[in-house]
Amino acid sequence: MFCGVKGETMDVITAFLLTFPIVFVISLLFDGIDRKIHARMQRRVGPPIIQPFYDFIKLLNKERIVPAMASSQIFTVLPTLAAASSILSSAILFTSVMSGTSFGGDLVVVFYLLAMSSVLVTIGGSSSGNPYGAIGFSRKMTMLIAYEVPLLLSFLSVFLKINSTSYYNAILTQVKVGSMLALAFPSMAVSAVAFLLCIPAAADAVPFDVSEAKTEIIYGPLVEYSGPYLALFKLAKASSNLSLTFLACTLFFYLPALFGDGDSLWLGAFIVCLLLALILWFLTITVPRTVFARMKVGQAFKFYWIVALPLSVIAVVLSALGL
Amino acid sequence: MKNMVTEKHGETKDVEVDYARLRIPFGPVHPALKEPVSLRVTVRKEEIVDVDIVLGHVHRGIEGLAENRNLVQTLYLVERVCGICSHSHTTCYVQALEEIGEIKPPERALYLRTLIFELERIHSHLFLLGVLAYEIGFDTLFMFTWHVRESILDLFEKITGNRVHHSMNTLGGVRWDVDQSMVEEIMSTMKNLHKYVQQIHDSFQDKSVEKRLCDVGFLAKDEAIRLCVVGPTARGSGVDMDVRRDHPYAAYNDLREDFSVVVKEKGDVYARTEVRILELFESINIIQKILAKLPGGNIRVEDNIIKLMRRIPQGEAISLVEAPRGELLYFVKTNVKGGLSRLKIRTPTIPNVLGLKPMLVGCEIADIPVIIASVDPCMACANRITVVDAVTGEEETMDTSVLRRKR
Repeated sequence: MFCGVKGETMDVITAFLLTFPIVFVISLLFDGIDRKIHARMQRRVGPPIIQPFYDFIKLLNKERIVPAMASSQIFTVLPTLAAASSILSSAILFTSVMSGTSFGGDLVVVFYLLAMSSVLVTIGGSSSGNPYGAIGFSRKMTMLIAYEVPLLLSFLSVFLKINSTSYYNAILTQVKVGSMLALAFPSMAVSAVAFLLCIPAAADAVPFDVSEAKTEIIYGPLVEYSGPYLALFKLAKASSNLSLTFLACTLFFYLPALFGDGDSLWLGAFIVCLLLALILWFLTITVPRTVFARMKVGQAFKFYWIVALPLSVIAVVLSALGL
Repeated sequence: MKNMVTEKHGETKDVEVDYARLRIPFGPVHPALKEPVSLRVTVRKEEIVDVDIVLGHVHRGIEGLAENRNLVQTLYLVERVCGICSHSHTTCYVQALEEIGEIKPPERALYLRTLIFELERIHSHLFLLGVLAYEIGFDTLFMFTWHVRESILDLFEKITGNRVHHSMNTLGGVRWDVDQSMVEEIMSTMKNLHKYVQQIHDSFQDKSVEKRLCDVGFLAKDEAIRLCVVGPTARGSGVDMDVRRDHPYAAYNDLREDFSVVVKEKGDVYARTEVRILELFESINIIQKILAKLPGGNIRVEDNIIKLMRRIPQGEAISLVEAPRGELLYFVKTNVKGGLSRLKIRTPTIPNVLGLKPMLVGCEIADIPVIIASVDPCMACANRITVVDAVTGEEETMDTSVLRRKR
């Protein structure tokens, strides 16, 4: 099912395996940069940029605690699954850009993996037996309905535009047009806005972090997690953020498309995309969480269904009309 | 849903069980609370249907301790009732003693007391505004507010040598004087502070902040009067009361023209917040006026505090001050040996915390932290004895009659 332009199968597998450590390092590094910038914007010194690595290693070495009331198998397995699914989603994206390959429907897979990782976190939390976990679960489900629909419609408009569900085709379209998707077509510009609006909610960042709200429900689903499980959830969150921002920048703002056909600069293109992803991370996660107060569930839900949903519907309609 | 429940004595009873209800423990250890209080909140989905307030987690027996110490030692003890309004407690205590001993502190001392008092009000209100911002997830405003608060703490350190427990008051006056350079420094800090407070005021009018503060945690005026809430909590509900104006103490009688009492009618969290922000401007104004008309002379009647202490006869007095959180009352009864036979402290948090229940019922879980913060509870001040059985979790609160019997 590979519709590759460039890579051989072996190359693709090597690249895919290589991406796992890359995803691990880059997602935690971006998380650290995010924390540092957030701190500097608040006139704090902030932690060192590699603090997430320290946290990860420290948490891994801690005792595993499972609450007596928790259904222990679900409680212990889900962190691993959540981390695996969000790392996998990043790995699929990275492999495509690095090796110039992808398979039909991989965007759908990425969409599901991203939703999976946040659903798994909340299910894990609700299995802990803690009432705060249960409240976090119900809040997260409400938020999922709020932002996943516009996000899915935004994906749909891209599928309609590029006539494919393959990630690499989206990049190829931009290379062929010689411009970014969001700049070339009005439908894609609208779609990009809807997508970017959904990122803070998907990343559980203030103002949309209702499901984790630390001052209200003590991190909701994460309330009973500690040690290695928490480390895996933190990794899952960081890599799903990376995946979201990387997806947004390659899908709508593939900058290398502006410079030539892109045939000779796969690694260069990858690095440019990563930097763009960092900028998007800053704009969609760091800035909102610095300048806004947390919303309530109802307010956040209303925001997505009044602002983001109509935008994504417009994107789909425009895209179907061929604009 | 109806369920049959067997009672203790073997009788069966029809009890309505609502499975959508969830009872969540809020505190005593919770990131939203800066001090331990426990709320048993019953919720249906996100809506709060019932609240049970449990106090007593930080009881330290200060009133009992005071009875075993002499008057001067107690001065330092009552300062430690609360970290934030330490000066209010000592002022209130010292005023009562001065009343009993008929000691008249010099004018300058009264002005300096008032100066520290207002600085303390600014520091306490800024502290609370920061906490409020933190509760609604606005960490940047929280950091900024506390950054501004640092300048007040620095002033405290420069004037008295301590950032939190200033130990400014003494019998018949104050312990530290301010010189001309200090006056200028306070003046320039106040000028900067005015600018920063304006910024904080603007930030609290930001739409994303207003969305969280407006129309939650209502306390109606008649309810506020019935529960006897005090301070900014009462003034946010339209009750026009302020000890500084109604029963002037220290230098407030001279400064009556220089401040007004801020009252807001609405009674929601935003009203209480706004009262505090506007009081910051009033306090800055008062401080500038104090520094402008600071009288000369001594700062205390007598350097030897033990000598003064011996002059205080047997007697009793009630003293009132307007602490940052509201009316603070001390009842002091001295004995012949320079000690206390009774010390009764009634802190503003005790009535204010009662106002939490009408505020919370009907709101959402998301509003709990911000509503609790909006009455600015200071639990360390308010606690009485509670005996908790660690095995069954049963609690028994001991009132005065029980304590007296056991003694």
